[in-house]
Amino acid sequence: MRPPSSLKQEFLKKWITGLQRCSSSKRNMSILERTKAIKLSADVAMASARNSTTCWSRALIANASKDGSDGKHLVEQILGLESERLMMKKASTGALVCNKRIRSKKILKRSCRIPRTRKCVPQVALATSIAKRMVRKRTQVLKSLIPGGEFMNEVSLIEETLDYIISLRVQVDVMRGLAGVSELVNHN
Amino acid sequence: MNNAFPEILQCSDMTVLERQKAPLQRQQEQLQQQEKQQQSYFSELRGVFSNQTSHVQGLQGGLLSGDSLLCDMVMTPQAKPDPGLETARSELGNIDIAGMGFGQCGYVNGPSFDMNYAIYRTSSCPPAVVAAAVATEGVEAKGKESVESEKLGSAIGRESFKKRKADKLHCSKVVAEDDSKRIKACAEERESKITGPNTNKSSSSNNNNKKQTSTETSKENSKFSKVQKPDYIHVRARRGQATDRHSLAERVRREKISERMKYLQDLVPGCNKITGKAGMLDEITSYVQSLQQQVELLSMKLAAVNPKLDFNIDNLFAKQVRQNPAAVLHFSVTNYAGIVCSRQLFASCTTTFPTVGMLSEMANPPYLQFNPVQQVVSCREVEMGMGMGMEINSPDMALQRTINAPLSIPDASFLDSSCLAQFQSSAAWDVELQNLYNVGFDQEGSTTPFPSQPFTGFH
Repeated sequence: MRPPSSLKQEFLKKWITGLQRCSSSKRNMSILERTKAIKLSADVAMASARNSTTCWSRALIANASKDGSDGKHLVEQILGLESERLMMKKASTGALVCNKRIRSKKILKRSCRIPRTRKCVPQVALATSIAKRMVRKRTQVLKSLIPGGEFMNEVSLIEETLDYIISLRVQVDVMRGLAGVSELVNHN
Repeated sequence: MNNAFPEILQCSDMTVLERQKAPLQRQQEQLQQQEKQQQSYFSELRGVFSNQTSHVQGLQGGLLSGDSLLCDMVMTPQAKPDPGLETARSELGNIDIAGMGFGQCGYVNGPSFDMNYAIYRTSSCPPAVVAAAVATEGVEAKGKESVESEKLGSAIGRESFKKRKADKLHCSKVVAEDDSKRIKACAEERESKITGPNTNKSSSSNNNNKKQTSTETSKENSKFSKVQKPDYIHVRARRGQATDRHSLAERVRREKISERMKYLQDLVPGCNKITGKAGMLDEITSYVQSLQQQVELLSMKLAAVNPKLDFNIDNLFAKQVRQNPAAVLHFSVTNYAGIVCSRQLFASCTTTFPTVGMLSEMANPPYLQFNPVQQVVSCREVEMGMGMGMEINSPDMALQRTINAPLSIPDASFLDSSCLAQFQSSAAWDVELQNLYNVGFDQEGSTTPFPSQPFTGFH
């Protein structure tokens, strides 16, 4: 169990390194570009702080490294070259395995759906089916929110959500602090 | 056969089995006596058994046509259901009739008799009146086997008998104990429930047995426990619930999911009142969305503030500290995660503030089996410290430092001094700011310490 303060510190360290790298490029970026850069570096730093123990971190880094040169270089810098390759490998294999798993699960569900009919009272069956549909809809939404969420089953989805929420909180706290300080500094 | 029995008959508490082994006349006499003396334990059970025995007896009559005694037994009316409940004896009497019916078929010669005799011996101890019942059931089953069991089985048509026959014979002792507990515990239950626990208990003890209990799904009693073991998970079937492998696995999965939803409930603010899965998921998605939006906003803010994305903190502080040390210090302490307190900051601050009582940590109660010690900053104390320049003693404070004193090496638990290359991390305080998040975006106004969402790392 990692104590929260060290998590924050680690995140900040990596983030600042990433930002430094962004700022070292001499061109003037528009505010939107800067926003994106900041967010990207923050996300990558957050994900790398997890050391690829969680699925969402791997997925996030995979997404970042595939977009363009920006993300890739950023990831390289923050993670270091070898670890980046390791993470890419893990992410790709993880995605492949998850895809296969999902496909096989769908086939299994389809085949099993027919014989396994439950003997239920019709009203009860209706209520349960409605509830199931609601839950399924919401899990779909949650899966779309969490990076790499489409590949997880329900149990791991909830675990990943827990971890992701904590990381997001850390991110928000540190960013808010930095923003406040910079604001203060720049105004004075 | 008759010679062997008298010694048995002379034993004191021989109720069922002695009748069983004794010659039929004696059995009959004793049966009638017993029925007069004793009360029934389970009226319904007796009723059921009497039904069974009537079936059996009819068959017996057909099978052993020449056995006049048996026919007499057949004719013997079953005991009128006595409303009492204390002992199991008359119930055993009823079972006995059935057993006798079987026994007659089976105990012609030595081997089966020896077997039964052995069982009788083992079950003759006093507390095992019920064990005797079970033994007789086992005996019945054995007798059944030795006869044309198919006919009997079909005639009986009771699940319990079949199930008992299947595997309970070798663990009749275990079932006996279980049954004794159950029967003693529930004195007034209906017969279906009596057989229910038999089957459920037995099937739960042998998990790979696929029984017909999936048909009994309507019972609602709770004898549910789940024991986690390192290798695999033991799940005890609830009474009346299906126990085949699929539903067990599903139940385990559902347990896992609900456990984790509980964690999420504690983590996400405002989820205490919501109980359903769908509502919880709603809250969680909205929370995650709000967090992501905050990240976006903050990054935009940072981008707006810094045109060149230079985040050199040392410079930041060095510039400002001279001008407005109080504000900077306060700001950094209240908002920043305590990592930015560089040595320069301290050096500049020591001149202005003689003493500042700083950190307060509260050890929250153990939370969710995660890190038990949570650290919460008390902003009010910080401000007071700043304003008055006094050392604050608060009951909550576990740690108190003064800036004026030479910078001591802080606790290793608070500060990772090796963390940052840029930041001289000899900070005397480390401030955790979880509670600020709950306030939203108010900055320096947030004063009151309030219980924060505990900050828990997952791993």
